[in-house]
Amino acid sequence: MSVRGAGVTMGGMRALTRAGAALLVAVCLPVVGCAGSGAGGDDGAEPYRIGAVLSLTGSYAGLGIPEKKAIDLEVARINEAGGINGREIEVIYEDDATDAAKAQAAAVRLIDEEGVLAIIGASGTGQTMAMRSDAERAGVPIISMAGGSVITDDFSEWVFQTPWPNRIVVPFVLKQMAAAGHTRVALISDTGGYGVDGRDYVLAHAEEAGVTLVADQTYNAGDTDMSSQMTKIRAADPDAVLIWAAGKEAAIIARNARQLNMEQPLYGGSGIARQEFIDGAAEAAEGVRLGTGRILVPEAFGEGTEAYNVATDFIARYEAEYGAKPDIFAGHAYDAIGLIADALGRIDGDVTSEALRDALEQTNGWIGIDGTFTYSANDHNGLTEDEMVLYIIDGGTWRLDD
Amino acid sequence: MSGVKGSRTLMTPHLALIAAAVAVAAVPLLTPDRYVLKVLVYVGVNVIVIAGLALLFGHAGQISMGHAAFVGIGAYTSAYLVKTLGAPWLVGAIAATMLAAAGGLVLALPALRLRGHYLAMATLGFNEIMYVVFREARAVTGGNDGLGGIPYPEVAGLRIDTPVGVYLLVWGVALLTLLLVTNILRSRPGRAMRALHATENGALACGIDTVGLKIRTFALSAALAGLAGALYAHGVGFISPTTFGLDQSVIYVAIVVVGGAGSLAGPVLAAVALTLLPYADALVPGLTKETIAVMQDWEADIYGLAMIAVVIFAPAGIGGLLRRASARRAGEVRG
Amino acid sequence: MDAAEFFQYVIAGLKSGSIYALVALGFTVVYGATGIINFAQGEFFMLGGVLAVWFHSLGLPLPVAGIAAVAATALLGVVFERVALRRQRSANPLVLVIITIGASMVIKSLARHLFGPDELSLQEFTPGPSIDVAGAAVERQALWVWGLTIVAVLVLAWLYRRTKLGRAMRACSISHDAARLMGIDTARVVMVSFGIAAALGALGGFAVTPLTQTSWDAGAAIGVKGFAAAILGGLGNPVATVIGGLVLGLLESLSVAFLSSTYKDAISLLVLLVVLFVRPQGLFGKARRGKV
Repeated sequence: MSVRGAGVTMGGMRALTRAGAALLVAVCLPVVGCAGSGAGGDDGAEPYRIGAVLSLTGSYAGLGIPEKKAIDLEVARINEAGGINGREIEVIYEDDATDAAKAQAAAVRLIDEEGVLAIIGASGTGQTMAMRSDAERAGVPIISMAGGSVITDDFSEWVFQTPWPNRIVVPFVLKQMAAAGHTRVALISDTGGYGVDGRDYVLAHAEEAGVTLVADQTYNAGDTDMSSQMTKIRAADPDAVLIWAAGKEAAIIARNARQLNMEQPLYGGSGIARQEFIDGAAEAAEGVRLGTGRILVPEAFGEGTEAYNVATDFIARYEAEYGAKPDIFAGHAYDAIGLIADALGRIDGDVTSEALRDALEQTNGWIGIDGTFTYSANDHNGLTEDEMVLYIIDGGTWRLDD
Repeated sequence: MSGVKGSRTLMTPHLALIAAAVAVAAVPLLTPDRYVLKVLVYVGVNVIVIAGLALLFGHAGQISMGHAAFVGIGAYTSAYLVKTLGAPWLVGAIAATMLAAAGGLVLALPALRLRGHYLAMATLGFNEIMYVVFREARAVTGGNDGLGGIPYPEVAGLRIDTPVGVYLLVWGVALLTLLLVTNILRSRPGRAMRALHATENGALACGIDTVGLKIRTFALSAALAGLAGALYAHGVGFISPTTFGLDQSVIYVAIVVVGGAGSLAGPVLAAVALTLLPYADALVPGLTKETIAVMQDWEADIYGLAMIAVVIFAPAGIGGLLRRASARRAGEVRG
Repeated sequence: MDAAEFFQYVIAGLKSGSIYALVALGFTVVYGATGIINFAQGEFFMLGGVLAVWFHSLGLPLPVAGIAAVAATALLGVVFERVALRRQRSANPLVLVIITIGASMVIKSLARHLFGPDELSLQEFTPGPSIDVAGAAVERQALWVWGLTIVAVLVLAWLYRRTKLGRAMRACSISHDAARLMGIDTARVVMVSFGIAAALGALGGFAVTPLTQTSWDAGAAIGVKGFAAAILGGLGNPVATVIGGLVLGLLESLSVAFLSSTYKDAISLLVLLVVLFVRPQGLFGKARRGKV
């Protein structure tokens, strides 16, 4: 009578064998089902397939949703006008849920499974950086709609950027604060890519702009209460408070400041140029100043200029389609898809990812919503501080600050 | 629980493993699709974690709500050592496994004084703390935005940088893990663990070192999770804190429960099936992305209900737990 | 740091501490009656806020919406106990824990499907500027939070001391079997305990939503903290639990004051682990010789 095997029943062994067979089947299933999806060949009628990784849910949903709307609008317009060289554009969307890991997985899926020519995305800086390695390995260009300077500072041949990066916005806002006489400044920023990047630039440029940092607080995306940080800031007695945030927490910060009876004016960058901020902060949003591009009040472009015409045309069409004016994020997305379409049109010969990247680098003076773009082999951002203006929130909406 | 005679019974689980090995090796020959191979890498990583968790759960009767934290410890350790410090990949992988095991030991030693649900909360608390550490120790982990550009595995000068290579590496380790766990279950300590599970006093009376056994099992399951984390980090190339959060730990528990905690095969199959589910549209022709998106949307509900249903109606492995536990309960007095 | 600033942190700590106390009371009530940890307690908190927003959006005035939300959540707690847990009464605690974990997953996900993934807000019960108390700003809503917490604790105390049901609950928490032998309907006690725990959690959720907003995933974080608070005070002892909640809130707030805001969440977790490993009975509990 063998003692070995005692404790494991006959039935158990059979189960294990069945299990083993089932494991075999389970592993073979992907083989059977593999439809072998590769990149589409350069067939004349095949659409250009472009991937888009956006934050449609999560903290940056307020950025991703208008971005998708703008892309849909523009793609429909381009396709209706006959496409590019007779071929339509097809955009395949993935939601990264404001999560870097999901953005990376989405990029892998778009590149390996969908075989896209290029990727528009992501809405956020951290998510964009997460996609870089895979894009570089595969040789697929990314056009990011996020504002972190690191996206183009940490230069990659395959990564482009449409918004004004922190490199431009931070010095602009700091100088405005100094000009208004607020020399003692408190900073509160989030720990995500955009906030960290912004903070680095504030620390680097404060002295040059003429301000001193008297408080430096951070919070994590997803936090629901920043009153402890604001209490510390209040205790430092600043002249003004600079908020460097892109998510919905910015509204809570403004409310916390109001609840603590803080009187100091609040400033911010593009990250708070959102209707969501005004809605979420309610009365606390009044008087908040921010630096961003001219799209919010297009007259700032100068009436009659081509930039003004491009902007007002886009605003009118967007409003007609969606019932609300486009915000800066819709603008970033308009530029991203527009630059790609423009570059695609200029390609001679086979349309590959590499050819597209090269064509993008030759973009010269393309007029978009964020400004006039000129890319090159070592400039993948294309904009300057000239594109910035200062706004103030007044009566629930933005107007140019005098 | 009848004794079984004959050598035939010894062959069968190993036979199943050999069959699985053949299948695993066959896959890349039958499909060159990079995406399928990448998805199967995720599956392999999860199989390693689940094997360790099933060992802990079903055979030592301990619950861990924080296993994703050990995966994270392994992933970040290896990524940091190899990418930032330039250590060889094998060093990174071994360090990852050792550090995760150490974490398991540190948690198990005091936690063994706690009763069932207290231990669950302790492991949950551990997961949450590690999540904060992953998020805040930016110099090492890259913070919320994660750590990217992690180099490919490199063994003896040979860089494993193709999807096929990574797939074979991960599944090779997975199969070895299954072999190891199967052998443990069938060995004396394994039977001892099951005995301990049945009646602790009985096991003690037989001279089995129950406390030592539990500690070693916990540490081993943590080590396996850490190894899986190291493989994941280098196979995928990017890691961030959300991958190792509480949600993931709860899903691991759900997989083991649904698979039937009394066996190894059940949880492993559940791991394969449930990990493949979000990618099913890439694998099965006719399934659209939209259908998968809907299933993904309801994933948590399905997991939760499945867990409850299995536990209530079809205990399978949990049934063994129940049967043995009710014998224990009769003598227990709630203090 | 001057007195006003310090006082501001104390206020913040007491504010969050009251919420922890309410959630922690839910853990204690269930533990006392059943001996298990209800992993779904955090979701009851979430439902209080989310359902109140929904009822309010249907047109109910704010106080009515709040009462409706608390009542609905209490009902859900009772139903959950009857449907999922009652038949498992003689089962291994591991099984019961797994059921509550599964329930937590389902409730959380259903909330996302029914109420959306976004933040939901409620206006403050009595809108107006913050009140200045000795240099610190106290939000009006904070007064509501404290007021409701005190009322809840008093009602619970009255229940335990003056009613038959309360005495039955206390008997159960000492010994289930003895209570049953005395003729107490333990099944009913368990059911009512779940209802009370759910109501307490929901009340906390409702009271704090005007301050922090709420969403479908607001339950997880508060659940862990509430449990840490309950363990800190001493699981099973309501008064100790409330003290545990306030102490935890203060510890968190003062850690932000003296250390750094980034580790705020870690404080409650450290407290949890330290207490579990060093003194599982909590600050006020009696030492028990628990079996492994």
